[in-house]
Amino acid sequence: MSRAIEVEKITKTYRVKSRRGLFKSSVEFVEAVKGISFTADYGSIVCLLGPNGAGKTTTIKILATLLLPDSGSARVAGYDVVKEASKVRENIGLMLTVEKGFYGKLNGRENLEYFAALYGLPRDIALKRIDHLVKLLELDKLGADRKLYEEFSLGMKARLSLARALLKDAPILLLDEPTLGLDPPSARKIRELVREMAHRENKSILYTTHNMFEAEIVCDRILLINKGVIVAEGSPEELKDKIPKLKVINLVIKASGDPGKPLERFTFRKEIKQEENSVFNVKIYVPRPEDVLGEIVKTLVNSGHEVVNVRVEEPSLEDVFIYYSEGSI
Amino acid sequence: MSFTDILRAEFKLEYNDMLRRKSVLFMLIMYPYLFTLFALFIGYAGGSPEVFVEKFGLNPVLYLITSSYILMSILASVDVLLWRPLYDSENGTLVYIISSPVNRLKYYMALPFPRYTELLLMGATSILPVYVYYYGLEGVLLSLLVITLIAVGCVLMVPFAIFVAGVCHRVGESWRIINIVRPIVMILMGVYYPRFYIPLIGYIIGSLIPSSFIVEIIQRTLLHLESNTHLLMAIAFTLFFLYLPAGAWSIKAWEVKKVKEGVKIS
Repeated sequence: MSRAIEVEKITKTYRVKSRRGLFKSSVEFVEAVKGISFTADYGSIVCLLGPNGAGKTTTIKILATLLLPDSGSARVAGYDVVKEASKVRENIGLMLTVEKGFYGKLNGRENLEYFAALYGLPRDIALKRIDHLVKLLELDKLGADRKLYEEFSLGMKARLSLARALLKDAPILLLDEPTLGLDPPSARKIRELVREMAHRENKSILYTTHNMFEAEIVCDRILLINKGVIVAEGSPEELKDKIPKLKVINLVIKASGDPGKPLERFTFRKEIKQEENSVFNVKIYVPRPEDVLGEIVKTLVNSGHEVVNVRVEEPSLEDVFIYYSEGSI
Repeated sequence: MSFTDILRAEFKLEYNDMLRRKSVLFMLIMYPYLFTLFALFIGYAGGSPEVFVEKFGLNPVLYLITSSYILMSILASVDVLLWRPLYDSENGTLVYIISSPVNRLKYYMALPFPRYTELLLMGATSILPVYVYYYGLEGVLLSLLVITLIAVGCVLMVPFAIFVAGVCHRVGESWRIINIVRPIVMILMGVYYPRFYIPLIGYIIGSLIPSSFIVEIIQRTLLHLESNTHLLMAIAFTLFFLYLPAGAWSIKAWEVKKVKEGVKIS
C-alpha cells in the first residue's frame, strides 16, 4: 500500500495587495510554504506544529484540493492533488475552522444528512452512519442532533465538524486546529477520538496545532513548521533528544525587586515570568545544573529574594520549538 | 451520487430555512403584490389604466401580477445560483462543497428547484385569486396553464443561470456585478414590457435567454395574440441543451480560478 500522504517540495506564494492611500496600492509576495516535504502513513497521526502564519493551513488547503501549489507535488491516497483532485476528494475527511461551516437553520443531524448527500453516500448508509457518529461524539447527549446549528456552542460545533469529517469514513483525515478555542472536555473528547481513529481504524491523520501540549499527547510524529519551512521532525521524544542536552532549572521566587538583575551575570538563556504581585517564575537553561544551581540560589538569596521552590526539569516540547525556530534555547 | 439525493438535501435545506424563518415565507407571498402595486403606482403617475388597456388589450392588474409572478419564479434560478456561492463562502460551507466529490453540474442544477416549487405553489396566493376575480372559474384553468408554462420556463432557465453565475463569479467582488445582472436579464426577458414590443436588438439579445420564449408564449396567451407555440418551445429547449455544456464549463472555470487563488476558509 502506498503512503497516505506524500508531499514533495511544495511551495506557495500569496500575492498580497496593500493599500497606500485612496488610489495607490502595492503588491507584496508572501511565501507561505517554502518547499516542504513530508510523508504520512496509515494508522498514524502526523502533526504540523507551528505558530500562526507558519504555513500549516496553507499545507492543509493544498492537500484538500482547495489551493493549488506553485511548485512541487503532493499525493493523497496515491492521487495527485492537482491532476486527480476528484479522487483525492473521495478519500479525505476535512475539518477546517470550527466556528463556521454549517447551515444555521438546520439541526445537527440535518446538516450531516445534507453533507452526506454531497459526499455521495446512499441514504440508508448515510442515516446509519449519522446515528453512529451522533452517539460516538455524544451529540445526542448535548442535544446537538436536534438543536439548530445557529444555537450551538463552540464545543458542539467542533464535534459536529469532526462528525462531518468522519461521515464518509475516508481513510485520510485532514484536521486543521480542531480544538482551537474549545472548553477542556470537548478538546479532550476530540483528542481521544482522533487517536482512536488513527490507531483502531487505521486512518492517516494530518493534524495541525500551535498547542505544544496537544501535539505531544495526540501525535505520533511532529513536524515543526515555522515561516513555511519544516525545521525539525520526529516523535516528541526524538525531538527533545535532538536538541543540545540542556536542562531547565525552574525557580519560584518571592522577589523584593527585579529578580533578573542579580541573575545577569549568568549568561545562560533565561525566561522570567511574573506570576503574581511579587512571585516570579524563572527558567534557566543550563548544560549541568549541579555546577551552577547552588550559586544561582545563593545569588538570589543574597539579593534579598526568597526562593520558594526549585526544580530541575527535562526540556519541554515548547523548548524544542524555541530551539528550532530561534536557533538556540 | 444520485441527482435525487442532492435534490432531497437541497429541498430540506430550503424548506427548513423558509419555514423556520417566517419573514421569508411572508415576503414570498407578498412579493408579487408589492411588485404589482409598485408598477401600478408608476403607471398611474404617467397615465390611466385605460391607456394600458388600449395599448395592450389587457387589464394592467392582471398583466402586472402575472409579470411579477413570472419574474419571481423564472428569475429565481438566476438569484439562487448567483447568490448561493457568495452565501456559502460567507457561511464557511463553500470549502466543504468544493472539497466534496459531488458532481458539479448535478449539484448546481439541483440548487434552484426547491425555490421553484415554493414559488410555483405561490401561484395559489398570487395569480390564482386575481384570475378568478377577473375571469371566474375560467381563471382557475388559465392560472394552471400559466403556472405550468412558468414551471417549464423555470427548468429551462437553470443551465443559462449556471452559465451566467460561473461567468460572474470569475470576476472579483462578483456581488457588485450580480446586482446589475439581474435587472438586465429581467429587461431582456421582457417580463414587464411585452417581449414582442421590445426593439429588435433587444429582442435578439433577449433570445439568448431560453425562458424568454416561454415568457412570450405566456404574454401572447394572456393578450389573445397568435403564437407559434411549438416553434418558440423548440427554440427554448434547444437553448436549454446548448447551455448545459456551457454551464458545466463555466462553473468549472470558476472553481479552477477559486482554487488557484485559494478557497477562503472565512
